Amino acid sequence: MQGLLLTLAALALVAGHLLRLPNRGGWLGNFAAFLVGLLLVCGLVRVGANAVGAGRVTPFDGFVNRAVLIAEQTDAPLVVFNGASFSRNAIDDERLTAATSERGYPHQMINISLEAASLMERDHYLSEFLKRSRRAPNIVFIEIAEMTDRRPTFIFNNSKFSTRAIAQFDLDASLWTATGLAGGGCLGLTDCVKESGLLGVHSMLNVLNVGLISQGKTLRNIAPSSSYDGAMVARQDIPVKEREQNLATILPTEPKEALNWARSFRTLQRERLLDNGVERVAYYFPPVLSPTERQYAANLCAGELAAYVCIAPEDPVLLSALTGEVWLDDAHLLDAGAAIYVNWLANQLVQRGVLDDEVALQ
Amino acid sequence: MIFTEAIFFVFLALTFAGYWALKGRRDFQLGLLLLASAVFYGWWDWRFLALIGGVIAVSWIAAQQVAKRPIGDPTRRLWLVGSIGICLSVLGVFKYFNFFAASSIAMLEGLGLTPGWTAVNILLPVGISFYVFQAISYIVDVARGDLEAENRLERVALYIAFFPQLVAGPIVRAASFFPQMDRQPRLSRGLIAAGLRAFLLGFAYKAGIADNLAQFVDPVFGDAMTPGDSDLAAWSNAAIIGATLAFAGQIYFDFAGYSLMAIGVARWFGFFIPKNFDYPYAATDIADFWRRWHISLSSWLRDYLYIPLGGNRGSKLATYRNLMITMVLGGLWHGAAWTFVAWGALHGVGLSLHRWLFGNSKTRIGFGVGLILTQLFVLLTWVPFRADSFADTLTAWSAFTGLRDGGGGHLPLAVWGIPVLIVIDIVLGKTDFSRLSKSTLLRRPSLYWAGLGGLAGLLLALYPLDAKPFVYFQF
Repeated sequence: MQGLLLTLAALALVAGHLLRLPNRGGWLGNFAAFLVGLLLVCGLVRVGANAVGAGRVTPFDGFVNRAVLIAEQTDAPLVVFNGASFSRNAIDDERLTAATSERGYPHQMINISLEAASLMERDHYLSEFLKRSRRAPNIVFIEIAEMTDRRPTFIFNNSKFSTRAIAQFDLDASLWTATGLAGGGCLGLTDCVKESGLLGVHSMLNVLNVGLISQGKTLRNIAPSSSYDGAMVARQDIPVKEREQNLATILPTEPKEALNWARSFRTLQRERLLDNGVERVAYYFPPVLSPTERQYAANLCAGELAAYVCIAPEDPVLLSALTGEVWLDDAHLLDAGAAIYVNWLANQLVQRGVLDDEVALQ
Repeated sequence: MIFTEAIFFVFLALTFAGYWALKGRRDFQLGLLLLASAVFYGWWDWRFLALIGGVIAVSWIAAQQVAKRPIGDPTRRLWLVGSIGICLSVLGVFKYFNFFAASSIAMLEGLGLTPGWTAVNILLPVGISFYVFQAISYIVDVARGDLEAENRLERVALYIAFFPQLVAGPIVRAASFFPQMDRQPRLSRGLIAAGLRAFLLGFAYKAGIADNLAQFVDPVFGDAMTPGDSDLAAWSNAAIIGATLAFAGQIYFDFAGYSLMAIGVARWFGFFIPKNFDYPYAATDIADFWRRWHISLSSWLRDYLYIPLGGNRGSKLATYRNLMITMVLGGLWHGAAWTFVAWGALHGVGLSLHRWLFGNSKTRIGFGVGLILTQLFVLLTWVPFRADSFADTLTAWSAFTGLRDGGGGHLPLAVWGIPVLIVIDIVLGKTDFSRLSKSTLLRRPSLYWAGLGGLAGLLLALYPLDAKPFVYFQF
């Protein structure tokens, strides 16, 4: 990888030295020549980078590398959890593996989740895992959250023009995001225009390979790291009363479907995962304080995803166990909260027979 | 704000458009540049605008006071010495206070004494070494009669704070800058192309090469901004030599890259800034190296320190003394650490030795031998410049001798490709190959613009999204 980097640097050096003042030419011809040169080199760089497995490094790469390593080291059935920050703080995969093992199931749980990850970004790294793992996971659990269904450009709340923001808007993800924005995935005209503009710029930066190889890293060589982030100290002080009130409120469940684009995305994703050897696709949502966000997941479980295993956290037993000092903030669990959730989740997996016979329930 | 950050390009585009929209109204153009320079500097930390403002005010007032008094007037001398003293005090407090305080505490503790005070941590204002030197050169040039004192404060301010070279040079002389403020430049194809060429080449140096060499340097020598995090014992001798080589490449391409970008940006506003580097790794003796490396600093040190100290006008011993003082202070200018002092002292010894052996003449040991010996010396002296401590310096030097039992850490083989980059740079820039760029073929518009597009494609792929600060910013 470093060899490729230095070769390209040498080429840039040569070009930088050789280009001086040109003779006068027509601006249209000049512009066309510039575009041809730009796109040709962009194409070549992209091909070269793909060939050596180079790219923009995000934390997801460490998670995927760990997942690949785990899949190599064990013959146990694999269960992958794929989500955003809710899952990153809630799914302690080592603890969940131990909990299901105690209940007599040998399954290996793997968490691949990162904060502010859109449906497309998560799916990209899930696919990356499928491509590189020696075997497909038996079950893939996909997080369903109102935030990512309604805001395909949620990443811009966290960062703009960053490595990760640029890396995720490849052509496919950009088209899905644009579809999402057009289908109601933004809040009002101003927001839609702003988000569309940011999407356009990030897509262009992605197409032009901005920063693609600047980190000089081969993605497979990124140190494996655990996705689970077991926070110990709260970052938001939530009054006990508010916590208890929110957790005691369980809004009625009505079968509902997500916005068209999110539903379509999930349908195609399911088909692709099953085509790639995944035995079952299931859904879940970790607990949050907001009753409406929990209700959203429960509604989808009862509606759009009724045909699939779908675990919403609307269980009074779970929610009442989470009234203590177990919240990082109003949407994320501390390590102590994750321990409670993981125990409950392990029970759910067993009670629903998810781990008994993967194919029979599909 | 640094030249490789996305926000800089927005800032540059706005300033450029505004500047040329005011064409024909020179004072407005210069006013806009001054305002842009304040924004550029304030972007880093607006509080230090007051500091640079103070330095500007001191040099403006002092130059006028000096200019209106006859030579020999004690008040004139007082203004001169006093204003230089103030400028150096600013540098001393903000750049060296921490260093001397920490050194004093360490010395007292070494003597078994417990000082009753602790050092306070003073933030180093970016670019202070550069603009203080520009301010001093302006006052001294006026005192020497080389330049007339400028009455207009805003012009002195723009000279000292001109944003392209404000934070990392090149150190521009007032005598060459002031006349350019009077001339009304013309926006032409040649001006744009000249600026573009310098900027793109500088960008290729910085983003394409220097930033990517850090991955060979930092693992071995540790993060430059985090003292004490190095672990040279873990690395093989070859890895340490490779990392030193990589640092030689990094610091050159980083600083020369910044200088070229500064030259390019200044050109777009019609200002000419002389080159700061002339392929120093092609130098065949140490004096030659200093005529090619950081030219604006070495000539500043020559004109405002070495010559006033007596230069080579006295005895041989006095000349060596002057060289040593100049280079030690030059080393200290680079950073408030004893390793920089050692780097400067080593170069002082090298220059004195060269003068003792060869006098003013060029080397008489042949091109090849001269080149190898000079570059080996330069390479070895980069070790204290980059190392965290003298212990690390000695470890690295012992790696060069091969007498050290190396650790198990290795660098990728690509590190040995770095000299190739340096050779390509020299061949294309300094030999007859440079004529190729003027050939009819390469001036064909379609080929030129396609090449420029290709270069843009390469630089975008190499563009560091997590922009690394320029190495020389810390100086």
